[in-house]
Amino acid sequence: MPDFSPVDYAVPGFVLLVLIEMVWARRLRRDAYEPRDTLTSLAFGLGSTIAGLLTGGAFLALFLWTWQFCLFDIGWQWWAWGLCFVLDDLAYYWIHRFGHRVRWFWASHVNHHSSQHYNLSTALRQTWTGFLTLGFAFKLPLVLAGFHPVMIAVCGGFNLIYQFWIHTEAIGRMPRWFEAVMNTPSHHRVHHATNPRYLDRNYAGVFIVWDKLFGSFEEERPDQERIRYGIVRQLGTFSLLYSVFHEWLGIAQDVRAAPWKHKLSYLWREPGWTHNGSRETSRMIRARWEARRAPVAAQNAIAEPREAA
Amino acid sequence: MIQFGASLSAILALAWIALKLGLGGDTRIEGEAHLRELADEALCGFEPVEIAIDRAGHAALVRDSEGRVILLRRHGTHFASRLLDGHAHARLDRQFLVVGTSDRRFGEIALDLGDQAAAWASSLRRL
Repeated sequence: MPDFSPVDYAVPGFVLLVLIEMVWARRLRRDAYEPRDTLTSLAFGLGSTIAGLLTGGAFLALFLWTWQFCLFDIGWQWWAWGLCFVLDDLAYYWIHRFGHRVRWFWASHVNHHSSQHYNLSTALRQTWTGFLTLGFAFKLPLVLAGFHPVMIAVCGGFNLIYQFWIHTEAIGRMPRWFEAVMNTPSHHRVHHATNPRYLDRNYAGVFIVWDKLFGSFEEERPDQERIRYGIVRQLGTFSLLYSVFHEWLGIAQDVRAAPWKHKLSYLWREPGWTHNGSRETSRMIRARWEARRAPVAAQNAIAEPREAA
Repeated sequence: MIQFGASLSAILALAWIALKLGLGGDTRIEGEAHLRELADEALCGFEPVEIAIDRAGHAALVRDSEGRVILLRRHGTHFASRLLDGHAHARLDRQFLVVGTSDRRFGEIALDLGDQAAAWASSLRRL
């Protein structure tokens, strides 16, 4: 059984790449970084690592306990690693999708999105409260199928490392074949965008094919609109502790204020849902944007008649 | 503990390097067109019929035809905003209008609005 954590070895590379991107920003895009935002994002990363150390053992123990009930003994063959990596990425897709569509999950994952910047330090802006959500449950089927928990953890580590480099504006588009299969800076910029067109799209970790398969893919259109990053209601503060816990506080306030029959809905329904319609979900925002856009699109179609086939 | 200390040092060093490289910049509201764009970003479809931009370009107020008012202020190299509700408060201090929202974390924003300050102060009190 290998005792290996790939992320530990990748950290010096992360630091080096952040430095290189900062030099790029100095030359071409000074506003791509904001020192206070960078400090907050990196502090998120450190806190997340500590939270992982404190809670990771319990999850590994749970996985190892579950493993005794596995249906097959897949073992440590080379092909098992490849298969495990792909299936782990599929599990990641659904964890991530729930992370955006269920407020209890979002309260944790919002941390990764609350920066208005999109750079390599944003990649390290990870939650401290992931253990409160039920994300681990999505990987239990892998354990029950017979993949060893350590193999799943190692694959998850490589998945995390892959996702680091895609958090940048310094790279435009990758070759077409790569964009078709893999998650790229272009696809992931869409995921971090607050433009109505892009809200809740491109959940992929490594393989963008999951989004294409499950209907959540959206292509980046830099020729049509400038991407804006962050969350629908921007935090407006660099305070670390508030940034970590603001959505949990929001849930607590909403649950306290809501009538009894609606209290639980503030936990399991999508972010932005309210029982009195006082806020908007991403679906509502996109619908409003599409309603406004439709007449313009129709006018453009009249103004630019296409040739008959 | 050593690993924690090293990580913390690396974080502080990276933030210090970002500062020393002059990253960030001085973002301001450049005019009405820019403000309209920011208002639409803040609330999709928001079309201002009245605007007031702080003289330094650090903050602004916009009102739409439904009477909704958004307060925008600089946040780093970007802008953050809040839709003002009944809990908002406004205080006039000569040409400065100090506006606070129901979100205490958002802070009180002092806008230098010149001659427009008094009119905006009285209209915000009616929210």
